[in-house]
Amino acid sequence: MASDHAIVVDGVPDALADAALAAAIADVRRIEAKYSRYRDDSVTAAVNRGAGGAPVAIDAETAALLAYADQCHRLSGGRFDVTSGVLRRAWDFRRSPPRLPDGATLTGLCALVGWQEVEWNERSVRLPRSGMEIDFGGIGKEYAADRAAAILAERGVRHALVNLGGDVRALGGQADGTPWRVGVRHPRAMEAGTAIASVEIADGAVATSGDYERYIEVDGCRYCHLLDPRTGWPVRAWQSISVVAPLAVVAGSVATIAMLLADDAPDFLASQGLPWLGVDAAGEVRGTLGK
Amino acid sequence: MASAAAAVAATDRTAPRVRALLAAALALPGIVPAPAAAQTMPDAGFIQFKYLDYRDWQPGARRMRVENPGFYVMSPFAEAWVVEGALVYDGMSGASPMWHDTLSGASGEGIHDRRAAGDVKLTRYFDGFSVGAGVAYSHENDYISRGGSVDLRVWTADKNTTYTFSYAGAADRIDTPDGAANHERKYVNDFLVGVTQALSQTAIVQSNLTYTRGHGYFDDPYKTFDSRPDNRRVLAWLTRLNRHFPDHHGTLQLAYRYIDDSWDANSHMVEAAWVQPLPHAFSVRPNLRYYTQRAAYFYFDPPFPTGLVFGQPYTADTRLSAFGAFTLGLLLAKDFGGGWSGDLKVEYYRQKSDWRAGGNGSPDILPFSARWIQVGVGKTF
Repeated sequence: MASDHAIVVDGVPDALADAALAAAIADVRRIEAKYSRYRDDSVTAAVNRGAGGAPVAIDAETAALLAYADQCHRLSGGRFDVTSGVLRRAWDFRRSPPRLPDGATLTGLCALVGWQEVEWNERSVRLPRSGMEIDFGGIGKEYAADRAAAILAERGVRHALVNLGGDVRALGGQADGTPWRVGVRHPRAMEAGTAIASVEIADGAVATSGDYERYIEVDGCRYCHLLDPRTGWPVRAWQSISVVAPLAVVAGSVATIAMLLADDAPDFLASQGLPWLGVDAAGEVRGTLGK
Repeated sequence: MASAAAAVAATDRTAPRVRALLAAALALPGIVPAPAAAQTMPDAGFIQFKYLDYRDWQPGARRMRVENPGFYVMSPFAEAWVVEGALVYDGMSGASPMWHDTLSGASGEGIHDRRAAGDVKLTRYFDGFSVGAGVAYSHENDYISRGGSVDLRVWTADKNTTYTFSYAGAADRIDTPDGAANHERKYVNDFLVGVTQALSQTAIVQSNLTYTRGHGYFDDPYKTFDSRPDNRRVLAWLTRLNRHFPDHHGTLQLAYRYIDDSWDANSHMVEAAWVQPLPHAFSVRPNLRYYTQRAAYFYFDPPFPTGLVFGQPYTADTRLSAFGAFTLGLLLAKDFGGGWSGDLKVEYYRQKSDWRAGGNGSPDILPFSARWIQVGVGKTF
């Protein structure tokens, strides 16, 4: 979650706002530390260290996140898979000059992907093969945004906007009665803030999944961090998809699933009944949100 | 531009699949704010004007009419303070209720009165509790009341539980033009302890216990021979339960109150209401209330107070008789946007001796009816 975060509260006295913000920010940091795949002391690291060994005990919060990930896995026909992060070993998005992985490497790593093989219940989780990994990308940050909004609401804040790296959760509109206005950034805009659309939202969330967060370009082709767990190759049908939903965790996971479903994304999004906006590979803006 | 309504509407008409996803998301811990946080500081001011028109009648005769404009304002200020004030002006006219159906026509002299009342309250919010203090004043040509109150509210960190402790005192002075009451005084002290508990995401319960102790002049100076004890102790226990039904977007509100009265006019009250939001920012709230009480020990059935010992307390006030009563009401409210709201409330009340729970209502009293029509308009700022 090394991204830009901002929480805006409106219409509350400073003393109340400070206390509420402190509680919300503390919880965002807690979740970041607990599920970071970059920290040795995180739950994610503990589960991954246990791969191929004994079950690792988990708490109720982690079990709930896994249950949610399981729903996403089923809903996406297996494309949304919290064990697919292992494919990143073949894709070094920081390497210079960038290089494409060879087929044998990808095939080997694909064998380590498979949420359906993970043994889990409310108290423990076990990755069956050594080398398997899980991570909470596409869920964790969005879950943190929803929790931050809930914490603010519980502390008396009625108007707030929580933005965790572009995944936005709105609470109660602005204090003057107007909705929050959230810009959807253009996936190819170099300067931050160039919006292709703006969404007015009082209560709800907007999340975007895009190919611009981490990627490499080889021979003029962009290879992004969203990897199809069946092939190990990045998805390429969309530059970005934004989804509006009641909760950030739903908006975020539906946007990610839509990116992974490639050409099937419009049908999938229509079946979900959630407003969306996408920029396809040709740069054309599509979707049901106003353009 | 997509509107916020899109996100909400989407959840209503969606395929079962996204419902599954939402349901799974809602199972994540702490993702939805705790329900109806019982204690939060208001973050916006509110100003409201209300106008009440009240009439009551018995068969063949109109009784009281009250026209009552009221004004209320509440505003947060200086970060953690809230000030509230209300002004009300009553114009009353008519006759007080007839006590017996063998007397027809108006009972005694008509009443024409004007009452002006106001109160101001200041509350300071802290982390985890609030402290409030207020004063109240009410003036009629024969009755002046001065009062004060203090309250303390304490809530748990998750705000699922709030405890309330309050004290209110009033000192009244009664002087009637005819001299029936001359510099009479009455003092009333109210002590309240209450708890509000969120039971789940959709249900909240509140229970308050109020002990009221009064001493001084309780008589009705306009009723001949009316002579009441000079002290009264009342213990009232009120419990309310609100439960929201997401599938119907409505809320059920239930209430029960028991009153134990040292004058023996013990009573039970039960009420049920349903709040239903409607399209175009309308909402309706139908409610039905049943009330039953037994007679005060010094209430004597008309026309002759059989068994009354001279010098002992005595009243023929039908409000202290044994009866039952139903109230049927409907509130229609609309949010006009931009902070403006309006409401219209109509209530109809009917009281009969026969309706007392278990029977044994006071005999020979005509049914008594009343209706309220109240319009209000408010603005948040």
